Amino acid sequence: MSTMRELLLISILAASAFAQGGNLGAFTDAGDVGNPARKGSTEFNASTGQYRITGSGANIWGNQDQFQFVWREMSGNFAVTATLQFLGQGEQHRKAGIMFRQSLDTDSAYGDIVIHGNGMPGMQWRNKSGEITNTFDFPFDSPAKFKLKLERNGPRVIVSFAKDGAELKRIANTEVTFRNPLLVGLVVCSHKADASDTVVFSDVSVEQLPPPAGKKQ
Amino acid sequence: MREFLLVCLAAASAFAQAGKFGALTNSDDVGNPLLKGSAVFDASTGQYRITGSGTDIWGRADQFHYVWREISGNFAVTATAQFLTEGIEHRKAVIMLRKSLDTDSPFIQVAIHGNGMPAVQFRSSKGDITNPVDFPVEGPGIYKLKLVRQGNTITAWIAKDGEALRELGHTSNDLGSPVLVGLGVSSHTQAAANTVLFSDVSVEQIAPPAGKKQ
Repeated sequence: MSTMRELLLISILAASAFAQGGNLGAFTDAGDVGNPARKGSTEFNASTGQYRITGSGANIWGNQDQFQFVWREMSGNFAVTATLQFLGQGEQHRKAGIMFRQSLDTDSAYGDIVIHGNGMPGMQWRNKSGEITNTFDFPFDSPAKFKLKLERNGPRVIVSFAKDGAELKRIANTEVTFRNPLLVGLVVCSHKADASDTVVFSDVSVEQLPPPAGKKQ
Repeated sequence: MREFLLVCLAAASAFAQAGKFGALTNSDDVGNPLLKGSAVFDASTGQYRITGSGTDIWGRADQFHYVWREISGNFAVTATAQFLTEGIEHRKAVIMLRKSLDTDSPFIQVAIHGNGMPAVQFRSSKGDITNPVDFPVEGPGIYKLKLVRQGNTITAWIAKDGEALRELGHTSNDLGSPVLVGLGVSSHTQAAANTVLFSDVSVEQIAPPAGKKQ
């Protein structure tokens, strides 16, 4: 029995080390941005393709951010798709979604599509390092499972989403000028320094797209 | 007869420029576009015929024709816009809240482009870039626009060709009080002017957000 426990413990540790070390499916790295008091974590299940991401942090907002990030580097045009579901209860404005980010600095330029804990989809962007966050929030009714897509097309950042299995719909776009390469990935923030939230992301895909027709990159 | 008509037109024009703009009070170009704009208000129909030129309402500085009034606190503005002239795909008709008449003033607007693309656009501080939120193109048509300010929350609605207004979404913007609220037209080119007919225009004060002090 004691051997069994040890074996289990070793397996868990191994899985954890494995996840942080590189088997993150479509992504390559996981870590906290902005040094939140509570550490976040990421587990990737290669057999289901699901990510179980736990993040804390005051917010992704204002001039600086705190959250758990799972990312890879990319250049050019691309699209990321993911379906997310919050586990457990939390702050109304806890956030999870897909982010494009220039760097791991807490005040880096970024663009994202996030779902808030209350079910409100929001597009957020910081044009330059240290600036405030711009926001546009979309009409909503209640929490749910959301499918999200964030696409980069030149300066455009395009958001699409759908609720509870509905067909993905293009909603809006803004503009953020990133340098290549940039960081592309999934985010979770509890919107509270002394809390953590866990979100399951499934059906995650990262797709490189061609440059716009007739345009050089 | 021709003289009579001319006198009437001149009188109507003087009347319009003198400050009788229905729900609004003033009319002028912002950003000194090469081609001068104009606004004519018809009190019997409540319609505004606004002609505006200018490179755009975009980037760090704007050029357009503006018809406005001062307002403070919480309010809702609605207007139905119809382009009367052909032009650049991204010519704009807008309901705007603007801090000042400076070309690089902070502003927020709900816009319909000539090609039928709705957008919410804003410049948060003087001289900063313009942030766009563009929505899928719905094609040319007659668009009803609505912009509401409650506290720092700005909410935008749109409807095409007589459909019910639908909410596009909301953002936060602290333009303070008083602020200039009104209708704008930009041709998106220095080489042309475009005319837009605005009808069913209303500006109304509304209650502050529930549970919040102003």
